[in-house]
This record gives sequence, structure tokens and C-alpha cells, in this order.
Amino acid sequence: MALELVVITKIVPDGSEVFIDPVNLTLNRSLATNVINPADENALELALQVKARYGGRITVLSMTPPFAIPYLEECVGRGADRAILLSDKAVAGSDTYPTSLAIAAAIKHIGKVDIVFAGEKTSDSSTGHVGPGVAEFLDAELASYVSSVEYDDGYVIATREFEEGTEVVRIPTPAVVTVLTNSNNPRKASLRRKIDAIRQGVIVWDLKEVGLPPDAVGLRNSPTIVKRMIPFPRRDRKGEKITTDNIAKLVDVFEQNKLIKGGE
Amino acid sequence: MAELVKATPPEDVSQWKDVMVYCETFQNKLTKAAQEMIGRGRVMADKTKTKLIGVVIGSDISDTAKEAGYYGCDRVIAFQSSAFDMYKSRPFTDNLTAAVKEAKPNILIVPGTHNGRDLAARTAIRVQSGLTADCMEIDVEEDTGILIARRPDYGDSTMSEIRCEKHRPQMATSRPGTFEVPPRDDKRKFKVDLREVKVKKGQIKEEILSFKPRSGEDISIAKVVVAGGLGMGKPEGLKLLEELANELGGVVGVSRPIADLGWISRSHQVGQTGITVRPNLYIAAGISGKPQHMVGMANSKLIVSINTDPDAEMNKNADYVIVDDLYNVIPALIEEIRKRKGAENVEVAPKKKKKA
Ligand SMILES: Cc1cc2nc3c(=O)[nH]c(=O)nc-3n(C[C@H](O)[C@H](O)[C@H](O)COP(=O)(O)OP(=O)(O)OC[C@H]3O[C@@H](n4cnc5c(N)ncnc54)[C@H](O)[C@@H]3O)c2cc1C
Ligand SMILES: Nc1ncnc2c1ncn2[C@@H]1O[C@H](COP(=O)(O)O)[C@@H](O)[C@H]1O
Repeated sequence: MALELVVITKIVPDGSEVFIDPVNLTLNRSLATNVINPADENALELALQVKARYGGRITVLSMTPPFAIPYLEECVGRGADRAILLSDKAVAGSDTYPTSLAIAAAIKHIGKVDIVFAGEKTSDSSTGHVGPGVAEFLDAELASYVSSVEYDDGYVIATREFEEGTEVVRIPTPAVVTVLTNSNNPRKASLRRKIDAIRQGVIVWDLKEVGLPPDAVGLRNSPTIVKRMIPFPRRDRKGEKITTDNIAKLVDVFEQNKLIKGGE
Repeated sequence: MAELVKATPPEDVSQWKDVMVYCETFQNKLTKAAQEMIGRGRVMADKTKTKLIGVVIGSDISDTAKEAGYYGCDRVIAFQSSAFDMYKSRPFTDNLTAAVKEAKPNILIVPGTHNGRDLAARTAIRVQSGLTADCMEIDVEEDTGILIARRPDYGDSTMSEIRCEKHRPQMATSRPGTFEVPPRDDKRKFKVDLREVKVKKGQIKEEILSFKPRSGEDISIAKVVVAGGLGMGKPEGLKLLEELANELGGVVGVSRPIADLGWISRSHQVGQTGITVRPNLYIAAGISGKPQHMVGMANSKLIVSINTDPDAEMNKNADYVIVDDLYNVIPALIEEIRKRKGAENVEVAPKKKKKA
């Protein structure tokens, strides 16, 4: 039986082009171009590798406004079979609870799914909550912070990284896997496939389609609110000049800060 | 398992009083991240005149539960089963959720480690509450008991203050290294509530097939990071940095191009797509200081920039700047440090250190 694989991806502003509006202290994202969230590129690549080895169908799913369409076409160009955009004005301002809820509802609407691939985190909100949240709503098993996976007859065997080391965990499907940034080298779309992807188009769903009432999501149904934004507390650094000839001065500073332990 | 429903807040939030902290363990020992969070939880419990409840989950934890008390918990709920020898996402979520439903804490804080974030994210959905990740500051309003969670925002150039006023518990995680480890006091009074959890055969679906301890250092918790960038020009530069790092009891970090070149593994890359470090000393040698690098190290206590270009961006964000070739500077630095250590040895050696 062919594996049903879903990759959830968010299209995020390119980090290098965002700056703070000095007047009202909000993020000015208007000048930023967008990118596929970096970790999600690795998630897609991992899904493509799983498909290559074990067969199956890959659906890329994103809950983003319609500007995401070209990025989803890029995903299909890389080898995904189809892309679904969950787009509804009601989701605006959703925090990770309603985001996970809406994505899980869309995945349920796809039908029986074996493995959901998410990124470990997004670069714009970087919570890493949505993958685990989706697992909860789907009542699926979860392997987070994963660098590679294998599939074996109804089980996902995932290599997870955490502070103390690396483990290999085996979980039954349906499973959600959150994939580490930089854990593989995402392929690029070939021009041919990209053209096909644009021809194929992106499926657009709204909340009604996935069976969620509008009052389940959005800013008003998010447990957390952003109260305000404040500039990052940077320490003023004095940039004192030191030359190689008087490097001893720097070592004095190290000593004062107890950075040099007495030899022992 | 969570139903596909929206998050509904409790009717009477005043019933949710105490502060709860998930006391993460590894091989039945409290992690440092857990100790830090206990310290933070203690401060908030004191401010609101409530209790600090620790939750410990593991396979052999009667002593660990006491440790949680020594570091500051008033009450420790400990869930013990041979199946909990390693972190397992679903059963740990089940137990933490049970503790939340029983104790009704106003606040729940969890170490922002990989496993902690996995657990916190799932628990937040189960208990239908709000969770703020990666907080640099966690505090509580004394009169209202409202949690104030501040986290670096996009690209770490701003901080957002996030609140969860209606739902309970108000949840937050922080990266390891954010807070100080509190003093351990084995005279502290606390209550331990140790529970043997009966796990039915086949109930736990996750099976850990193997575990390999981390080889090499974890740069995210290092006290000193000696980092090199393209200015090194050749892989041998890393050897030099390593020598300096060894003298300072630190580790080697790199900018992304160095990891891209494959001179060293990704686990050493600092920055937006790498690791965030917050050491006492960050030495940037031959690193220009592009924002994607800066966000990963800007909060280091002391920053030293070694760069041939006097106008390098890194210099503007450094406490000390040496405009010179790193191949001149670093050997001189190593030599001077060795000289001092040698001198200290002479001084220190005859004294006998008293150890408690
Ligand atoms: C989406 C995205 C994510 C990124 N993520 C990261 C990330 O996580 N981490 C990261 O580091 N980068 C990241 N980058 C790349 C980043 O933008 C920079 O390209 C990179 O940090 C530059 O590395 P560098 O400072 O080593 O090299 P350069 O910018 O080339 O700087 C080399 C410096 O060395 C100095 N120099 C030359 N010779 C010597 C010498 N002999 N002695 C002393 N100094 C010398 C030069 O004056 C110069 O300042 C990312 C980029 C993008 C677009
Ligand atoms: N709006 C979204 N649409 C689709 N996937 C998402 C969305 N937001 C988050 N994700 C997925 O969840 C992961 C973690 O996101 P976050 O919790 O925001 O850090 C991302 O890497 C994506 O795979």
C-alpha cells in the first residue's frame, strides 16, 4: 500500500531583510521577500527520500495567504505530488494552538495519512510547537528533532537529536516527524518539473472545506497574545582597541572575569 | 489525544494558584536546565506567595525528587516506571497533563531543551492553554498572577512580551543557560509524592532502539567559545582556535561558510541557522559579523573581535577589538595565557585547597 506522506510548510519572510520600524517598534516585513521556512525544506527533502525508497504520495500543505502559491509550486517542482493551500481570512492572527488545530483538520480531510513531516521550527516564530501540536490533534505518535528516518512495515524508525545525544526511536504510524534544520541538502526544482507544477496548480481549501468553524481559530481564539514589542536589550559594547603587542591587557580582562582557571 | 476543538479557558482562573515546574531528568538525574527552571519557578512562587510544585518523571527517581526539593520545590510529584528510563513523548505528556489537571497550577514552566519543548508543546494542547517558547525573561505580576513572558522575536532584533491571560496554566519554556542555577540546600523542607505508574504491556508505543551519547562538546552550553570565520583562510586555522579554546576550557565555534566548507561539523555553527550561544566569552576571529551570525552570539557576556578590517561589523558589537591578522594575534594570546598559568601554578601549588 502506497504511503500517504504530508509535508507541512510555512512560507516565511527572508530573515536577512526584516528590520524594526523605529517609530512604532513593530517589525517591518513589507520589504521582505519570502522563502520556504528553512527547516521545512529539510522536511520536504526527507519526505522525498522516503518516497524514493518506499514509494508513496507526497502532499505539501501550507496554511498561509495566497502569496504562498509560487512557493508551493516550487515544492511540487522538487518532487511533491501535489500542494494544498489552506487559506482563510479567519485564521489571521492564530497562535500555535489554532494553527495546529487547523492544520490537523486539513490533514484529517486528506484522509488516512501515514507520516506527517514538519520542520523543527519556523524561522519567524521559531516555537517548534506546531509539529507536536498537530500530533496531539491527530492522536499520532511523534518523533521530534529528527535527522533521518526509515520506514518498516507500519513503523517509522527515526534518529532524534537532543542535548545529551542521539537516539533511534521506533514509533507506529500514523506519525508526525519534526525535521532538524540543515539535516540534509534540499534538492532544487528542475525547470521542467517547475513548469509542470505551475500547470498543475495548487489546491485551495478554506476552513469550511476542512470542517472547522471560523470561531475555532484566529487571534480571538488564541490563548496567547503579543502584548507589546520592545527592542532587544543590547548591551552597549565599548569596542576597546587592543594591539597584539599589548595582548597582556586582554588577558588581564580574562583574569578579572575568572576565565582563566589556575593551572591544575 | 486532543479533540479537534478550540481552546476553552477555565471558568474560574482564581482556582489555579501555584507555580509548577517540569524537572527534566536524564538518566534519572536532574538536568542543569531543570535546575535553572526550578530557580526561576522559586522566584515566581515567592512573588505570588504560592507553592512551587515540581514534576519529575523517570525510572528510578526517589533521590532525584529530593534533589528537586533541595533546589527549591515545595512539593514534588514524581511519576516512576521502568518504562520511563528515557524520554518518551506520549507517556510523559500523559503524566505531566495528569499533574496539571490535579494540581491546577497558575503557571507551568518547562526547560526549553528538545525533549522539554516536545513535552511542553503537546501538554499545552492537551490542557488547552497558551505556551510561549524560548523566553529570555519569565516573570509574574505579583498582584494578578499574570505571567510575563518575553522572547526574542524575528531575527532576535526585538523582544515580544507575550501573555496568556484567560487560559491556565500559563506556560513558558526557556533555552538552557537563560537563568542561573539556584543554590542547592539540603536543609530545605518539602514534600515528595512518589507514584508508581502502572504501564500495561503494549500501552507505550514508542520504543528506543539505541542511544549514543553526544560525542564532542555541546557548544550551546559552553562558557567560552572561540569562533573562526572565513578570515581563517585555511582549515589549519581551526587547529589554532582549538589550542586557544583548550587553554580557556572552551569550545570551537564557526561561521556558516566554515561549516559549509566541511572543515568542521554543523554542530559547531553559530547563528540563525545554527546554534545560539551565550557564553561568558566569545572570541570572533575572522568573522565579519553578518546579522545571521550575530543573532547566534550577540548575548554573550564578553565579545572579542579579531579582524584585519577595522570597519568589520563585528568590531562594532565587541567589547574588545584587535585589528590584526588572527595568525599573529592568537599565538600571542595563547603564549600570554600559558605564561600566566605557569605563574599561577607556582603561586597556587603550595597552598592546600580546602574542600568541603
Ligand atoms: C538565510 C541565511 C542564514 C544564514 N545563517 C547563518 C548562520 O547561522 N551562521 C553564520 O555564521 N552565517 C549565516 N549566514 C551567512 C552570513 O550571512 C554570512 O555570509 C557569514 O556569516 C559570513 O561568514 P564569515 O564572517 O566567516 O565570512 P566573511 O563575511 O567573508 O568575513 C570574513 C572576515 O574575516 C576577516 N579577515 C580576513 N582575513 C583575516 C585574517 N587573516 N585575520 C583576521 N581577520 C581576517 C575579513 O576582514 C572579514 O571581516 C546565513 C545566511 C543566510 C542568507
Ligand atoms: N502556517 C503553517 N502552515 C503549514 N505548516 C506550518 C505552519 N506553521 C508552522 N508549520 C509547520 O510547523 C513547524 C514548526 O513551526 P513553529 O511551531 O511555528 O515553529 C514548521 O517548520 C512547519 O513545518
